[in-house]
Amino acid sequence: MSWITVIWSMVASSCLTLAAMHLLIWCKKRTAWGSLLFSLTAVATAAVAGCELWMMRAETAREFGVVLRWAHVPYWGLIISLVVFVRLYLQAGRPWLAWTVCVVRTFSLLLNFLVGQNLNYHEVTGLRHIPFFGESVSVAEGVSNPWMLVGQLSLLLLVIFAADATLAVWRRGDRRPLVLLGGTIVFFVMGGIGQFVLTFWGFIHKPVTPSLFFLGIVAAMSFELSNDMLRAARLSDDLRESEERMTLAAEAAGFGVWMWNVATNRVWGSERWLHLFGFAPHAAITFEEVIQRIHPEDREIVEREVRRALMDRDDYAVEYRVILSDGTQKWVASRGRMYPDERGKPARMLGAAIDITGRKQAEQEIVQQRNELAHVARVSTMSQLASSLAHELNQPLGAIMRNAEAGELFLQNPSPDLDEVRAILADIRKDDQRAGAVIDRMREWMKRREVERRRLDLNLLAGEVVTLVRPDAEKRRVRLAVETDPALPPVHGDRVQLQQVLLNLLLNGMDALDDNRPARRLVTVRTRPVGATVEVTVSDTGHGISADKLLRVFEPFFSTKPNGLGMGLAISRSIIEAHGGRLWAENNEAGGATFTFTLPAAEGGNPK
Amino acid sequence: MNGPAAIVRIVDDDDSFLTAVARMLRASGFVVKTFASAAEFLARPELDVPGCVLVDLQMPGLTGLDLQEALAKEGHRLPVIFLTGHGDIPTTVQAMRRGAEDFLTKRASKEDLLNAVKRALDRDARERATAARMEALRARFAALTPREREVLKHVVQGRLNKQIAFDLGIHERTVKLHRTSITTKLSVYSAAELTKLWMEAGGLEV
Repeated sequence: MSWITVIWSMVASSCLTLAAMHLLIWCKKRTAWGSLLFSLTAVATAAVAGCELWMMRAETAREFGVVLRWAHVPYWGLIISLVVFVRLYLQAGRPWLAWTVCVVRTFSLLLNFLVGQNLNYHEVTGLRHIPFFGESVSVAEGVSNPWMLVGQLSLLLLVIFAADATLAVWRRGDRRPLVLLGGTIVFFVMGGIGQFVLTFWGFIHKPVTPSLFFLGIVAAMSFELSNDMLRAARLSDDLRESEERMTLAAEAAGFGVWMWNVATNRVWGSERWLHLFGFAPHAAITFEEVIQRIHPEDREIVEREVRRALMDRDDYAVEYRVILSDGTQKWVASRGRMYPDERGKPARMLGAAIDITGRKQAEQEIVQQRNELAHVARVSTMSQLASSLAHELNQPLGAIMRNAEAGELFLQNPSPDLDEVRAILADIRKDDQRAGAVIDRMREWMKRREVERRRLDLNLLAGEVVTLVRPDAEKRRVRLAVETDPALPPVHGDRVQLQQVLLNLLLNGMDALDDNRPARRLVTVRTRPVGATVEVTVSDTGHGISADKLLRVFEPFFSTKPNGLGMGLAISRSIIEAHGGRLWAENNEAGGATFTFTLPAAEGGNPK
Repeated sequence: MNGPAAIVRIVDDDDSFLTAVARMLRASGFVVKTFASAAEFLARPELDVPGCVLVDLQMPGLTGLDLQEALAKEGHRLPVIFLTGHGDIPTTVQAMRRGAEDFLTKRASKEDLLNAVKRALDRDARERATAARMEALRARFAALTPREREVLKHVVQGRLNKQIAFDLGIHERTVKLHRTSITTKLSVYSAAELTKLWMEAGGLEV
């Protein structure tokens, strides 16, 4: 066996082996375009090596010419795949240059088959045997084909394209081996071109060996691709490790971890998560099955939140109840994050869930206690307002009685005025409804009730409360002023509880005025929007609150009044805070105190 | 007893009650005038017209008590009946002390209300009649000379002419002349009648 046969066969076989490997990779992972293009380059290089070996061993000039002509097919394939590789894998190079290289090379391939014996020689006239690697090999002698310039132009363009691409990668700051790859391509293509030009224009008499140059490129590409594969493998190791660490941490913290593959609709859950939802270990679950475990009242909010997270590509966080097959109920807090695929579509959602049943129960107990306390305070306030309420009831009841008496008197007349009687009856009905409304309101106040959050107009609410205390205020000769801002946004809250707070503040304000001359007894209720909140102030013209008591007035059982229970302001503050607002007290510069509370404005305009 | 022109004035901010009570009193034969506030009433009280005031105790702005005070300041004693949705003791006491004619809840029975109104109108009529008589008496006594008044003072004490003449240091016949003049001016015919008239005039400083 000669050295030449050995070397060229090894070049071809190693190229084919690498090509086979990367073709396999591409078959497994169709998105690995780099591997496919590399395979094509390597196969082309192997074919080029084969052709070269054949040419060196050619017996006749004609044989040499034909092989050279066919060798241009793998040249073409090699150049095209190289250009595409640079564009796709390095993501560099000017597209128009890439297109130009491809078009010119294809044109030269056509010329190769249409003009002369091949692209390089118009005709190979004879063979010369020269020594090479200690052997005698054939080189051609003949008339050069002028169209060869087109092929060489395409090679020049390829060098420019590759150099430009490498420069672009460099400027991008990406100085990884990719630059080495680009540089290698430039270097070896230039080397190949040099040898070509010198040989085919007859300056040197050596066999052309581009396959050796291309082998360099193939080696650089292979090196780069394997590097990438190595990196991917290491990443996957790291990922597995970090996943294990995370699962461990989550389990230790009591979290169950879950992942939902949106495309396949499979939900994977850690052991704890499966247990939390009452699924068997290692169960394969769909999203719908998870939803089925959620309390029917909470399903809508969970589905809405998930949909929102999917659409907005946002995180999701929601608290809901889970009902197990044995009927037990658990509170679960779940958080998740949406991970999109390459096209930005939702692919997976990853998250964690924790059992918050204990916390929820405690919260509910607190809410219940607060409502209970608020109820007691309401009842006690109502007893303070008993005379006001009696007044409000006696007004319509008195009118009803007087109307009924008048009606009886009219009917004693031999020819009664029936129109007048009808008017009387209509008035009686109207006053009856008025009295009924007072009783309804009182019942709503005294009732032990669940908190109901609704959109409320605080201006209307303030008006109602002022109406309620007005008789009391008149009796105590206190003037009540209401200054509402018509542009006040609505709030979200419990009507009765917020009325209770306002009532409390108004009654306190009135209590502060007992020592004043009647002309100086004024309580003012004001409302105004402040940013995204609604502010309500109740100011009196009394003697104010001493500095050391400004904060203490909100403490339970703290009272400055001889017969005060000391719960009114404490309850008011807890109600306002449960509504997401604040309540505080200040002294006015002109004397007296001002109590202010703020509530967050409800979203979306006026409650009409 | 009701004077033909007596008017019951009703003052209440509650329109519904105002209409109802006015209706009932009209149907019961009273002449009624309604006012939606104390200020509206005080703007044109027409105090020369007899009658009474029926006023709501608790009203925004001027209250029933304010109205009573304003009337008292003017020196008019138009009887005031208070109506209240819910009467508490301190307010009632205050109102009665200032001379409220009556104090009724809004749901008081018809009889109580009508009786109170009648009583108030009677009192007003009586007071107006007394005041008119007093006015006339004063005019009559005002016609006496100072000497005649002096003689009158002795006469109503039941003293004899002789004693009066001695006390005043005048002749008994002169005393007789004065007595004749007094009885003529006051159109009385006996000393007893004279004494009664003098008492009626309230023991005037004669």
